[in-house]
Amino acid sequence: MIICGCGYTGLKIAAVYQKRADTLRILQNGLSLLETEIRYASTPLPQALQRVGEKLNRESRVIFTRAADIMQLREGCAVSEAWDAGIKTLSEAVWISAEETSILALFGKGLGNSAKEDQLKNIALAKEQLHMAEKSAAAAREKNKRMWQYMGFCFGTVIVLLLV
Amino acid sequence: MVRLIINKDKLLKGSKSASQEKLGQKSEVKVLKERKMTLGWLSALSPGLRQKLCESSGSRLAEFEEIRLRIGRPLILRLGQTELTIDNDNRLSSELKKGYIISKAELERNLEILSQGSLYAWEDEFKNGYLTIPGGHRVGFVGRGVLDKGVIRTIRDISGFNYRISREVPGCADEVLPYVIENQHVFHTLIISPPQCGKTTLLRDMVCQISDGIEKMGFGGVNVGLVDERSELAGIYEGQPQFHIGLRTDVLDACPKAQGMIMLIRSMSPRVVATDEIGKPEDVEAVYEALQTGVSVLTTIHGSNLEEIKKRPFLRKLLNWQFFERIVLLSRRDGPGTIEAVYDGKTLERMK
Repeated sequence: MIICGCGYTGLKIAAVYQKRADTLRILQNGLSLLETEIRYASTPLPQALQRVGEKLNRESRVIFTRAADIMQLREGCAVSEAWDAGIKTLSEAVWISAEETSILALFGKGLGNSAKEDQLKNIALAKEQLHMAEKSAAAAREKNKRMWQYMGFCFGTVIVLLLV
Repeated sequence: MVRLIINKDKLLKGSKSASQEKLGQKSEVKVLKERKMTLGWLSALSPGLRQKLCESSGSRLAEFEEIRLRIGRPLILRLGQTELTIDNDNRLSSELKKGYIISKAELERNLEILSQGSLYAWEDEFKNGYLTIPGGHRVGFVGRGVLDKGVIRTIRDISGFNYRISREVPGCADEVLPYVIENQHVFHTLIISPPQCGKTTLLRDMVCQISDGIEKMGFGGVNVGLVDERSELAGIYEGQPQFHIGLRTDVLDACPKAQGMIMLIRSMSPRVVATDEIGKPEDVEAVYEALQTGVSVLTTIHGSNLEEIKKRPFLRKLLNWQFFERIVLLSRRDGPGTIEAVYDGKTLERMK
Protein backbone atom coordinates (compact mmCIF):
# COMPACT_ATOMS: atom_id res chain seq x y z
CA MET A 1 0.00 0.00 0.00
CA ILE A 2 2.90 2.31 0.83
CA ILE A 3 4.47 1.60 -2.55
CA CYS A 4 1.16 2.27 -4.32
CA GLY A 5 0.59 5.50 -2.35
CA CYS A 6 4.05 6.89 -3.03
CA GLY A 7 3.92 5.70 -6.64
CA TYR A 8 0.56 7.45 -7.13
CA THR A 9 1.95 10.68 -5.66
CA GLY A 10 4.92 10.47 -8.00
CA LEU A 11 2.62 9.96 -10.99
CA LYS A 12 0.49 12.94 -9.91
CA ILE A 13 3.55 15.19 -9.73
CA ALA A 14 4.66 13.95 -13.17
CA ALA A 15 1.15 14.73 -14.50
CA VAL A 16 1.46 18.34 -13.27
CA TYR A 17 4.43 18.87 -15.60
CA GLN A 18 2.50 17.33 -18.47
CA LYS A 19 -0.59 19.44 -17.77
CA ARG A 20 1.37 22.68 -17.57
CA ALA A 21 2.84 22.16 -21.04
CA ASP A 22 -0.58 21.16 -22.41
CA THR A 23 -2.21 24.24 -20.87
CA LEU A 24 0.31 26.59 -22.43
CA ARG A 25 -0.27 24.98 -25.82
CA ILE A 26 -4.06 25.22 -25.49
CA LEU A 27 -3.79 28.85 -24.38
CA GLN A 28 -1.92 29.64 -27.59
CA ASN A 29 -4.73 27.96 -29.55
CA GLY A 30 -7.20 30.07 -27.59
CA LEU A 31 -5.35 33.25 -28.48
CA SER A 32 -5.34 32.22 -32.15
CA LEU A 33 -9.13 31.80 -31.97
CA LEU A 34 -9.43 35.19 -30.26
CA GLU A 35 -7.32 36.67 -33.04
CA THR A 36 -9.79 35.29 -35.60
CA GLU A 37 -12.75 36.74 -33.69
CA ILE A 38 -11.09 40.16 -33.56
CA ARG A 39 -9.61 40.20 -37.05
CA TYR A 40 -12.56 38.91 -39.08
CA ALA A 41 -15.67 39.53 -37.01
CA SER A 42 -14.67 42.43 -34.71
CA THR A 43 -16.61 40.58 -32.02
CA PRO A 44 -16.76 42.49 -28.71
CA LEU A 45 -14.76 40.84 -25.93
CA PRO A 46 -17.55 39.34 -23.79
CA GLN A 47 -18.89 37.36 -26.75
CA ALA A 48 -15.44 36.71 -28.27
CA LEU A 49 -14.03 35.30 -25.01
CA GLN A 50 -17.14 33.19 -24.47
CA ARG A 51 -16.93 31.73 -27.98
CA VAL A 52 -13.22 31.00 -27.62
CA GLY A 53 -13.84 29.32 -24.25
CA GLU A 54 -16.58 27.15 -25.73
CA LYS A 55 -14.25 25.90 -28.46
CA LEU A 56 -11.46 24.91 -26.08
CA ASN A 57 -11.41 21.77 -24.01
CA ARG A 58 -9.96 20.94 -20.61
CA GLU A 59 -9.21 23.40 -17.84
CA SER A 60 -7.62 26.05 -20.07
CA ARG A 61 -11.04 27.30 -21.15
CA VAL A 62 -11.81 28.75 -17.70
CA ILE A 63 -9.60 31.80 -18.24
CA PHE A 64 -11.77 32.82 -21.20
CA THR A 65 -15.19 31.82 -19.88
CA ARG A 66 -14.62 33.32 -16.41
CA ALA A 67 -13.44 36.65 -17.89
CA ALA A 68 -16.45 36.68 -20.26
CA ASP A 69 -18.89 35.94 -17.39
CA ILE A 70 -17.44 38.69 -15.23
CA MET A 71 -17.63 41.22 -18.06
CA GLN A 72 -21.28 40.39 -18.59
CA LEU A 73 -22.17 40.33 -14.91
CA ARG A 74 -20.36 43.39 -13.67
CA GLU A 75 -21.12 46.08 -16.18
CA GLY A 76 -18.42 48.70 -16.09
CA CYS A 77 -15.81 46.27 -14.81
CA ALA A 78 -12.45 46.95 -16.48
CA VAL A 79 -11.38 44.30 -18.98
CA SER A 80 -8.05 43.76 -17.23
CA GLU A 81 -9.89 43.07 -13.92
CA ALA A 82 -12.09 40.47 -15.61
CA TRP A 83 -9.06 38.90 -17.31
CA ASP A 84 -7.17 38.83 -13.99
CA ALA A 85 -10.09 36.97 -12.42
CA GLY A 86 -9.84 34.51 -15.33
CA ILE A 87 -6.12 34.02 -14.64
CA LYS A 88 -6.86 33.41 -10.96
CA THR A 89 -9.45 30.74 -11.83
CA LEU A 90 -7.01 29.13 -14.26
CA SER A 91 -4.15 29.08 -11.76
CA GLU A 92 -6.47 27.43 -9.23
CA ALA A 93 -7.25 24.67 -11.73
CA VAL A 94 -3.81 24.18 -13.28
CA TRP A 95 -0.32 24.86 -11.97
CA ILE A 96 1.39 27.54 -14.04
CA SER A 97 4.52 29.43 -13.08
CA ALA A 98 4.61 33.07 -11.90
CA GLU A 99 6.37 34.00 -15.14
CA GLU A 100 3.56 32.52 -17.22
CA THR A 101 0.96 34.26 -15.07
CA SER A 102 2.72 37.57 -15.65
CA ILE A 103 2.70 36.98 -19.44
CA LEU A 104 -1.07 36.52 -19.27
CA ALA A 105 -1.56 39.50 -16.93
CA LEU A 106 0.48 41.79 -19.20
CA PHE A 107 -1.59 40.63 -22.17
CA GLY A 108 -4.77 41.49 -20.22
CA LYS A 109 -3.57 45.05 -19.59
CA GLY A 110 -3.69 45.79 -23.33
CA LEU A 111 -6.82 43.78 -24.07
CA GLY A 112 -9.67 45.69 -25.69
CA ASN A 113 -8.37 49.22 -25.19
CA SER A 114 -6.90 49.98 -28.59
CA ALA A 115 -7.49 49.63 -32.33
CA LYS A 116 -7.69 46.27 -34.07
CA GLU A 117 -4.14 46.44 -35.39
CA ASP A 118 -2.71 46.93 -31.88
CA GLN A 119 -4.88 44.16 -30.49
CA LEU A 120 -3.52 41.74 -33.08
CA LYS A 121 0.05 42.78 -32.23
CA ASN A 122 -0.69 42.24 -28.53
CA ILE A 123 -2.04 38.76 -29.26
CA ALA A 124 0.97 37.88 -31.45
CA LEU A 125 3.35 38.97 -28.69
CA ALA A 126 1.52 36.96 -26.02
CA LYS A 127 1.45 33.91 -28.29
CA GLU A 128 5.18 34.20 -28.91
CA GLN A 129 5.90 34.48 -25.19
CA LEU A 130 3.63 31.54 -24.39
CA HIS A 131 5.36 29.52 -27.11
CA MET A 132 8.72 30.16 -25.44
CA ALA A 133 7.20 29.27 -22.06
CA GLU A 134 5.75 26.09 -23.56
CA LYS A 135 9.21 25.10 -24.82
CA SER A 136 10.73 25.54 -21.39
CA ALA A 137 7.76 23.72 -19.80
CA ALA A 138 8.30 20.86 -22.27
CA ALA A 139 11.99 20.72 -21.35
CA ALA A 140 11.09 20.64 -17.64
CA ARG A 141 8.53 17.94 -18.38
CA GLU A 142 11.11 15.79 -20.20
CA LYS A 143 13.53 16.28 -17.36
CA ASN A 144 11.19 15.70 -14.44
CA LYS A 145 8.26 13.63 -15.65
CA ARG A 146 10.07 10.28 -15.87
CA MET A 147 12.04 11.01 -12.72
CA TRP A 148 8.86 11.55 -10.67
CA GLN A 149 7.15 8.57 -12.27
CA TYR A 150 9.94 6.27 -10.99
CA MET A 151 10.84 8.20 -7.86
CA GLY A 152 7.44 7.71 -6.24
CA PHE A 153 7.67 3.94 -6.53
CA CYS A 154 11.37 3.89 -5.52
CA PHE A 155 10.67 6.05 -2.47
CA GLY A 156 7.79 3.75 -1.47
CA THR A 157 10.01 0.69 -1.90
CA VAL A 158 12.76 2.27 0.27
CA ILE A 159 10.25 3.00 3.04
CA VAL A 160 8.94 -0.57 2.89
CA LEU A 161 12.50 -1.96 3.01
CA LEU A 162 13.34 0.25 6.00
CA LEU A 163 10.16 -0.84 7.77
CA VAL A 164 10.97 -4.50 7.12
CA MET B 1 -36.17 48.82 -11.99
CA VAL B 2 -34.32 50.14 -8.97
CA ARG B 3 -35.18 46.95 -7.14
CA LEU B 4 -33.73 44.90 -9.97
CA ILE B 5 -30.44 46.74 -9.82
CA ILE B 6 -30.18 46.51 -6.05
CA ASN B 7 -30.94 42.80 -6.18
CA LYS B 8 -28.28 42.38 -8.80
CA ASP B 9 -25.72 44.13 -6.63
CA LYS B 10 -26.73 41.98 -3.66
CA LEU B 11 -26.34 38.89 -5.77
CA LEU B 12 -22.92 39.96 -6.89
CA LYS B 13 -21.77 40.70 -3.37
CA GLY B 14 -23.46 37.73 -1.66
CA SER B 15 -21.39 34.75 -0.60
CA LYS B 16 -22.31 31.39 -2.04
CA SER B 17 -20.80 27.96 -2.46
CA ALA B 18 -18.82 27.40 -5.65
CA SER B 19 -21.52 25.36 -7.40
CA GLN B 20 -24.30 27.72 -6.32
CA GLU B 21 -22.24 30.65 -7.54
CA LYS B 22 -21.72 29.00 -10.91
CA LEU B 23 -25.43 28.27 -11.30
CA GLY B 24 -26.32 31.76 -10.06
CA GLN B 25 -23.95 33.35 -12.54
CA LYS B 26 -25.45 31.44 -15.44
CA SER B 27 -29.00 32.40 -14.62
CA GLU B 28 -27.91 35.95 -13.84
CA VAL B 29 -26.22 36.30 -17.22
CA LYS B 30 -29.52 35.20 -18.78
CA VAL B 31 -31.52 37.70 -16.70
CA LEU B 32 -29.10 40.47 -17.59
CA LYS B 33 -29.35 39.60 -21.26
CA GLU B 34 -33.14 39.82 -21.04
CA ARG B 35 -32.85 43.14 -19.21
CA LYS B 36 -30.56 44.44 -21.93
CA MET B 37 -33.26 43.63 -24.49
CA THR B 38 -36.03 45.45 -22.59
CA LEU B 39 -34.31 48.33 -20.82
CA GLY B 40 -31.97 49.04 -23.69
CA TRP B 41 -30.55 52.48 -23.18
CA LEU B 42 -30.60 52.28 -19.37
CA SER B 43 -28.15 49.38 -19.35
CA ALA B 44 -25.77 51.38 -21.54
CA LEU B 45 -25.20 53.91 -18.75
CA SER B 46 -22.70 53.56 -15.92
CA PRO B 47 -24.24 51.86 -12.83
CA GLY B 48 -24.03 55.06 -10.74
CA LEU B 49 -25.78 57.19 -13.31
CA ARG B 50 -28.36 54.48 -13.96
CA GLN B 51 -29.26 54.32 -10.29
CA LYS B 52 -29.50 58.11 -10.09
CA LEU B 53 -31.87 58.21 -13.06
CA CYS B 54 -34.05 55.39 -11.74
CA GLU B 55 -34.32 56.94 -8.28
CA SER B 56 -35.02 60.47 -9.45
CA SER B 57 -37.20 59.84 -12.48
CA GLY B 58 -39.27 56.72 -11.76
CA SER B 59 -42.05 56.42 -14.30
CA ARG B 60 -40.88 59.51 -16.21
CA LEU B 61 -37.98 57.43 -17.56
CA ALA B 62 -40.28 56.41 -20.37
CA GLU B 63 -40.64 60.04 -21.49
CA PHE B 64 -36.94 60.80 -22.00
CA GLU B 65 -35.93 61.63 -25.54
CA GLU B 66 -32.33 62.61 -24.94
CA ILE B 67 -29.74 62.28 -22.19
CA ARG B 68 -26.73 64.54 -22.51
CA LEU B 69 -23.51 63.98 -20.59
CA ARG B 70 -20.85 66.69 -20.95
CA ILE B 71 -17.64 66.59 -18.97
CA GLY B 72 -17.60 69.05 -16.03
CA ARG B 73 -21.13 70.21 -16.79
CA PRO B 74 -24.55 69.19 -15.50
CA LEU B 75 -26.45 66.17 -16.75
CA ILE B 76 -29.29 67.28 -19.04
CA LEU B 77 -32.40 65.23 -19.77
CA ARG B 78 -34.70 66.28 -22.59
CA LEU B 79 -38.40 65.43 -22.52
CA GLY B 80 -40.02 66.94 -25.59
CA GLN B 81 -39.11 70.62 -25.49
CA THR B 82 -38.36 70.59 -21.73
CA GLU B 83 -34.85 70.26 -20.34
CA LEU B 84 -34.32 68.90 -16.84
CA THR B 85 -31.45 67.81 -14.65
CA ILE B 86 -31.03 65.87 -11.39
CA ASP B 87 -30.35 68.06 -8.35
CA ASN B 88 -28.39 67.30 -5.16
CA ASP B 89 -31.52 65.83 -3.51
CA ASN B 90 -31.82 63.33 -6.36
CA ARG B 91 -34.92 64.97 -7.82
CA LEU B 92 -35.69 66.15 -11.31
CA SER B 93 -35.15 69.89 -11.54
CA SER B 94 -35.30 72.56 -14.22
CA GLU B 95 -32.44 74.53 -12.63
CA LEU B 96 -29.79 73.16 -14.94
CA LYS B 97 -26.89 74.99 -13.29
CA LYS B 98 -27.52 73.23 -9.98
CA GLY B 99 -27.61 69.81 -11.59
CA TYR B 100 -25.45 66.73 -11.14
CA ILE B 101 -22.02 67.41 -12.65
CA ILE B 102 -20.60 64.74 -14.93
CA SER B 103 -17.03 63.75 -14.07
CA LYS B 104 -14.32 62.47 -16.39
CA ALA B 105 -14.35 59.12 -14.57
CA GLU B 106 -18.12 58.87 -15.17
CA LEU B 107 -17.64 59.38 -18.91
CA GLU B 108 -14.83 56.82 -18.99
CA ARG B 109 -17.03 54.22 -17.28
CA ASN B 110 -19.78 54.97 -19.78
CA LEU B 111 -17.36 54.45 -22.64
CA GLU B 112 -16.19 51.17 -21.12
CA ILE B 113 -19.80 49.95 -20.95
CA LEU B 114 -20.80 51.25 -24.35
CA SER B 115 -17.81 49.64 -26.06
CA GLN B 116 -18.07 46.50 -23.90
CA GLY B 117 -14.40 47.05 -23.19
CA SER B 118 -13.67 46.43 -26.87
CA LEU B 119 -12.70 49.64 -28.65
CA TYR B 120 -11.41 47.65 -31.66
CA ALA B 121 -14.95 46.37 -32.33
CA TRP B 122 -16.33 49.85 -32.96
CA GLU B 123 -13.67 51.44 -35.16
CA ASP B 124 -16.16 52.46 -37.85
CA GLU B 125 -18.57 53.79 -35.25
CA PHE B 126 -15.80 55.88 -33.72
CA LYS B 127 -15.00 57.30 -37.13
CA ASN B 128 -18.64 58.27 -37.56
CA GLY B 129 -19.08 59.60 -34.01
CA TYR B 130 -21.97 57.45 -32.85
CA LEU B 131 -22.85 53.89 -32.00
CA THR B 132 -26.07 51.95 -31.60
CA ILE B 133 -26.97 50.23 -28.36
CA PRO B 134 -29.42 47.41 -27.56
CA GLY B 135 -32.93 48.61 -28.27
CA GLY B 136 -31.90 50.48 -31.40
CA HIS B 137 -31.03 53.72 -29.58
CA ARG B 138 -28.17 55.84 -30.81
CA VAL B 139 -25.39 57.29 -28.70
CA GLY B 140 -23.44 60.14 -30.26
CA PHE B 141 -20.16 61.33 -28.81
CA VAL B 142 -17.61 64.10 -29.20
CA GLY B 143 -13.94 64.35 -28.28
CA ARG B 144 -10.63 64.99 -29.93
CA GLY B 145 -10.33 63.78 -33.49
CA VAL B 146 -7.33 61.69 -34.54
CA LEU B 147 -6.60 62.36 -38.19
CA ASP B 148 -4.95 60.18 -40.80
CA LYS B 149 -4.17 62.00 -44.05
CA GLY B 150 -6.85 64.56 -43.27
CA VAL B 151 -9.55 61.97 -42.58
CA ILE B 152 -10.87 61.25 -39.07
CA ARG B 153 -9.41 57.90 -38.01
CA THR B 154 -10.94 57.84 -34.56
CA ILE B 155 -12.02 60.05 -31.67
CA ARG B 156 -10.13 60.07 -28.38
CA ASP B 157 -10.50 61.98 -25.10
CA ILE B 158 -14.27 61.62 -25.28
CA SER B 159 -15.83 64.70 -23.68
CA GLY B 160 -19.54 64.26 -24.22
CA PHE B 161 -22.28 61.73 -24.95
CA ASN B 162 -25.76 62.17 -26.31
CA TYR B 163 -28.12 59.24 -25.76
CA ARG B 164 -30.96 59.50 -28.26
CA ILE B 165 -33.81 57.27 -27.24
CA SER B 166 -35.83 55.93 -30.11
CA ARG B 167 -39.38 54.70 -29.77
CA GLU B 168 -41.81 52.68 -31.74
CA VAL B 169 -45.09 54.41 -32.54
CA PRO B 170 -47.31 51.75 -34.14
CA GLY B 171 -49.78 53.30 -36.52
CA CYS B 172 -47.91 56.58 -37.00
CA ALA B 173 -47.79 55.91 -40.75
CA ASP B 174 -51.59 55.45 -41.05
CA GLU B 175 -52.04 59.02 -42.28
CA VAL B 176 -49.35 58.74 -44.96
CA LEU B 177 -49.88 55.23 -46.31
CA PRO B 178 -53.04 56.03 -48.37
CA TYR B 179 -50.87 58.46 -50.40
CA VAL B 180 -48.01 55.96 -50.74
CA ILE B 181 -49.93 52.82 -51.74
CA GLU B 182 -52.31 52.59 -54.68
CA ASN B 183 -53.68 49.41 -56.29
CA GLN B 184 -51.09 47.12 -54.66
CA HIS B 185 -48.33 49.44 -55.87
CA VAL B 186 -45.99 51.21 -53.46
CA PHE B 187 -44.80 54.57 -54.78
CA HIS B 188 -41.17 55.68 -54.57
CA THR B 189 -41.32 57.88 -51.49
CA LEU B 190 -38.97 60.47 -50.01
CA ILE B 191 -39.50 61.68 -46.45
CA ILE B 192 -38.04 65.12 -45.76
CA SER B 193 -37.67 66.09 -42.13
CA PRO B 194 -35.53 68.16 -39.77
CA PRO B 195 -33.77 66.17 -36.99
CA GLN B 196 -35.94 64.84 -34.16
CA CYS B 197 -39.19 65.05 -36.08
CA GLY B 198 -39.74 61.31 -36.23
CA LYS B 199 -38.66 60.39 -39.75
CA THR B 200 -37.03 57.12 -38.65
CA THR B 201 -40.10 56.20 -36.60
CA LEU B 202 -42.38 56.98 -39.54
CA LEU B 203 -40.23 54.99 -41.98
CA ARG B 204 -40.12 52.04 -39.55
CA ASP B 205 -43.89 51.95 -39.26
CA MET B 206 -44.30 52.27 -43.03
CA VAL B 207 -41.93 49.32 -43.53
CA CYS B 208 -43.74 47.29 -40.88
CA GLN B 209 -47.20 47.89 -42.37
CA ILE B 210 -46.11 47.39 -45.98
CA SER B 211 -44.40 44.15 -44.98
CA ASP B 212 -47.28 42.82 -42.86
CA GLY B 213 -50.03 43.97 -45.22
CA ILE B 214 -52.80 46.47 -44.53
CA GLU B 215 -56.19 44.88 -44.30
CA LYS B 216 -58.28 48.06 -44.44
CA MET B 217 -56.54 49.13 -47.66
CA GLY B 218 -56.74 45.64 -49.15
CA PHE B 219 -52.95 45.57 -49.42
CA GLY B 220 -51.50 42.09 -49.11
CA GLY B 221 -48.00 42.80 -47.88
CA VAL B 222 -44.79 42.43 -49.87
CA ASN B 223 -41.13 41.55 -49.29
CA VAL B 224 -39.24 44.54 -47.98
CA GLY B 225 -35.45 44.91 -47.94
CA LEU B 226 -34.16 47.20 -45.22
CA VAL B 227 -30.65 48.63 -45.31
CA ASP B 228 -30.04 49.72 -41.74
CA GLU B 229 -26.65 51.40 -41.84
CA ARG B 230 -26.92 52.93 -38.37
CA SER B 231 -28.87 50.01 -36.80
CA GLU B 232 -31.62 52.47 -35.91
CA LEU B 233 -34.52 51.25 -38.04
CA ALA B 234 -34.61 47.64 -36.90
CA GLY B 235 -32.34 48.08 -33.88
CA ILE B 236 -30.65 44.73 -34.48
CA TYR B 237 -28.93 43.39 -31.37
CA GLU B 238 -27.15 40.05 -31.59
CA GLY B 239 -28.99 39.34 -34.82
CA GLN B 240 -32.50 40.04 -33.53
CA PRO B 241 -34.54 43.11 -34.51
CA GLN B 242 -35.66 45.00 -31.41
CA PHE B 243 -38.49 46.79 -33.21
CA HIS B 244 -41.42 45.44 -35.17
CA ILE B 245 -40.37 45.61 -38.76
CA GLY B 246 -42.85 43.23 -40.36
CA LEU B 247 -43.16 39.60 -41.37
CA ARG B 248 -41.58 39.94 -44.77
CA THR B 249 -38.70 42.26 -43.99
CA ASP B 250 -35.05 41.31 -44.55
CA VAL B 251 -32.53 43.51 -42.81
CA LEU B 252 -28.98 44.22 -43.89
CA ASP B 253 -27.57 45.63 -40.70
CA ALA B 254 -24.64 48.07 -40.37
CA CYS B 255 -23.96 48.02 -44.12
CA PRO B 256 -23.26 51.12 -46.20
CA LYS B 257 -26.50 52.11 -47.91
CA ALA B 258 -25.08 52.17 -51.42
CA GLN B 259 -23.61 48.65 -51.32
CA GLY B 260 -26.42 47.31 -49.15
CA MET B 261 -29.25 48.33 -51.47
CA ILE B 262 -27.65 46.66 -54.46
CA MET B 263 -26.83 43.53 -52.42
CA LEU B 264 -30.40 43.24 -51.16
CA ILE B 265 -31.92 43.65 -54.60
CA ARG B 266 -29.65 40.92 -55.98
CA SER B 267 -29.95 38.50 -53.10
CA MET B 268 -33.39 38.82 -51.49
CA SER B 269 -35.67 39.93 -54.38
CA PRO B 270 -37.56 42.60 -52.42
CA ARG B 271 -40.49 44.54 -53.87
CA VAL B 272 -39.67 47.53 -51.68
CA VAL B 273 -36.26 48.73 -50.50
CA ALA B 274 -36.09 51.11 -47.55
CA THR B 275 -33.17 53.03 -46.12
CA ASP B 276 -32.69 55.93 -43.76
CA GLU B 277 -30.98 59.31 -44.17
CA ILE B 278 -29.44 59.41 -47.60
CA GLY B 279 -26.96 62.24 -47.82
CA LYS B 280 -23.71 61.20 -49.49
CA PRO B 281 -23.32 61.33 -53.30
CA GLU B 282 -22.83 57.54 -53.44
CA ASP B 283 -26.15 57.06 -51.60
CA VAL B 284 -27.89 59.10 -54.27
CA GLU B 285 -26.22 57.01 -57.00
CA ALA B 286 -27.36 53.80 -55.27
CA VAL B 287 -30.93 55.10 -54.97
CA TYR B 288 -30.79 55.95 -58.67
CA GLU B 289 -29.63 52.43 -59.49
CA ALA B 290 -32.31 50.88 -57.25
CA LEU B 291 -34.97 53.01 -58.90
CA GLN B 292 -33.99 51.51 -62.28
CA THR B 293 -34.44 47.92 -61.11
CA GLY B 294 -38.18 48.13 -60.65
CA VAL B 295 -38.29 47.95 -56.87
CA SER B 296 -40.00 50.70 -54.92
CA VAL B 297 -37.72 52.86 -52.81
CA LEU B 298 -38.62 54.42 -49.46
CA THR B 299 -36.04 56.76 -48.01
CA THR B 300 -35.56 59.79 -45.78
CA ILE B 301 -33.47 62.91 -45.93
CA HIS B 302 -32.56 65.74 -43.56
CA GLY B 303 -34.16 69.05 -44.47
CA SER B 304 -36.88 71.51 -43.50
CA ASN B 305 -38.54 72.00 -46.87
CA LEU B 306 -38.26 71.32 -50.58
CA GLU B 307 -36.45 74.59 -51.29
CA GLU B 308 -33.67 73.69 -48.90
CA ILE B 309 -33.16 70.29 -50.56
CA LYS B 310 -32.99 71.93 -53.98
CA LYS B 311 -30.00 73.98 -52.80
CA ARG B 312 -27.92 70.86 -52.14
CA PRO B 313 -26.38 69.95 -55.54
CA PHE B 314 -26.58 66.17 -55.61
CA LEU B 315 -29.94 66.05 -53.85
CA ARG B 316 -31.28 68.55 -56.38
CA LYS B 317 -30.20 66.02 -59.02
CA LEU B 318 -32.31 63.39 -57.27
CA LEU B 319 -35.38 65.63 -57.35
CA ASN B 320 -34.75 66.69 -60.94
CA TRP B 321 -34.81 63.03 -62.05
CA GLN B 322 -38.40 63.06 -60.83
CA PHE B 323 -38.22 59.43 -59.83
CA PHE B 324 -39.78 59.99 -56.44
CA GLU B 325 -43.54 59.81 -56.81
CA ARG B 326 -44.38 60.99 -53.29
CA ILE B 327 -42.58 63.48 -51.07
CA VAL B 328 -43.61 63.61 -47.41
CA LEU B 329 -42.66 66.63 -45.30
CA LEU B 330 -42.47 66.26 -41.52
CA SER B 331 -42.25 68.81 -38.72
CA ARG B 332 -42.63 69.06 -34.95
CA ARG B 333 -45.46 71.57 -35.05
CA ASP B 334 -47.95 69.32 -33.22
CA GLY B 335 -45.29 67.12 -31.63
CA PRO B 336 -42.81 64.77 -33.35
CA GLY B 337 -44.11 63.16 -36.51
CA THR B 338 -46.48 65.95 -37.60
CA ILE B 339 -47.20 65.44 -41.29
CA GLU B 340 -46.81 68.92 -42.73
CA ALA B 341 -47.46 68.05 -46.36
CA VAL B 342 -47.47 65.30 -48.98
CA TYR B 343 -46.38 66.28 -52.51
CA ASP B 344 -46.67 64.52 -55.84
CA GLY B 345 -42.98 64.06 -56.67
CA LYS B 346 -43.39 64.63 -60.40
CA THR B 347 -45.58 67.72 -60.47
CA LEU B 348 -44.64 68.95 -56.97
CA GLU B 349 -48.33 69.56 -56.40
CA ARG B 350 -49.43 69.46 -52.81
CA MET B 351 -51.70 66.45 -52.13
CA LYS B 352 -52.20 67.08 -48.39
